[in-house]
Amino acid sequence: MGKIFTLLLSTSPYSYENTVTAVRIAESALTKGHTVNLIASGDGVYCFLQRQKAKGIANAEEEFSRLIQKGLKVYL
Amino acid sequence: MLVIVKSGPDTADGKRGVKLAQDMAADLFLIQNGVYFAQGERLEGFCGNTYALKEDLKLRGIKDAEIRKGIRETGYDSLVDLMADNDKVAGMF
Amino acid sequence: MSKIAMILRKAPYGDINAAEAVRHAMGGAADELAVSLLLVDGGVLLARKGQDDAGTGFTNLEGALKDCIDMGVEVYADKGSLTELQVETGDVVDGVKIVAGAEIAETVKEAKTTMIF
Repeated sequence: MGKIFTLLLSTSPYSYENTVTAVRIAESALTKGHTVNLIASGDGVYCFLQRQKAKGIANAEEEFSRLIQKGLKVYL
Repeated sequence: MLVIVKSGPDTADGKRGVKLAQDMAADLFLIQNGVYFAQGERLEGFCGNTYALKEDLKLRGIKDAEIRKGIRETGYDSLVDLMADNDKVAGMF
Repeated sequence: MSKIAMILRKAPYGDINAAEAVRHAMGGAADELAVSLLLVDGGVLLARKGQDDAGTGFTNLEGALKDCIDMGVEVYADKGSLTELQVETGDVVDGVKIVAGAEIAETVKEAKTTMIF
C-alpha cells in the first residue's frame, strides 16, 4: 500500500541543490504509487513562480509543473 | 530509523547528522555534499547500514575505489523505498 | 591591468556559490581583468577531476573551471584544504596551482578587489 510522503522545501530554487533533490524524490515516490505532499516554506515559495527562465540547472517551474500533473500536491 | 545527510564533512550540519545517526543506531543515507562522507575512513566506527546516492557521487567525481567498503551506492528509487519502509526518517542534515 | 581575487569556500553543486564563482571569473577574464580564483576549504572540491553531470541537469563545473583556465584565470587551490578534504594531487584538474596558505594571502593582498563566494 502506498505511503504518504510530505516534503518541506524552504530554500530558493537556484541557490541550493535542494530543489533537484525534492524533484527527484517526489518523482520516484509518485512513480511508485505513493502520495506526495510538498510544503513550500520561506524562500521555497519562489520555486512556484511563473515565467522562470533558468538554464544550466533544472528549471523549478517546469519540473514542479510536470510533477503536479503526475499528482504532486503543493501547499504554499 | 533512517537519517539523511546532505551536508559535507566540512560542515557542522553534516557532522551533527552523522553523529545523531551513530548515537541513535540508525541507518544513514548520504546525498548532495553528504556523499563526501563515503570517502576513505570518514565513517570509521559507524555501525549502521550506509547508503550513498550514486548520481551525487558521480557528479562530484568520487570514484568507486575511494568509497569505504560496505557503503552501498544506490539511486533515488532505493532512497524512496527506505523512506517508505523505515518507521522514522530524520533529515535532511 | 586591474587585479581581482575571487575566493571560493564552498563545495560545488550543494549550493550555487561554485557556479557563481566560475561565472564571475569568466566574466572578469572576458573584460580583461587579471582574475585569481582561490579555492579554499570546501571550494577545493571544485578542482576534482572526473565530475560527471550526466542525467543531473547541472552544468559540469569541472568543465567550467577548465574554461576559466583557458581564458587566463589563475586558479589556486589551498594545499591544507586539499589534504583535509582528502583530495590527492593527481586528482586535481590540470592547470590548477597547489599553493600554501601564505601564497593565497599574498594574492588577496595584491588584488585591488576581493569577491567571496
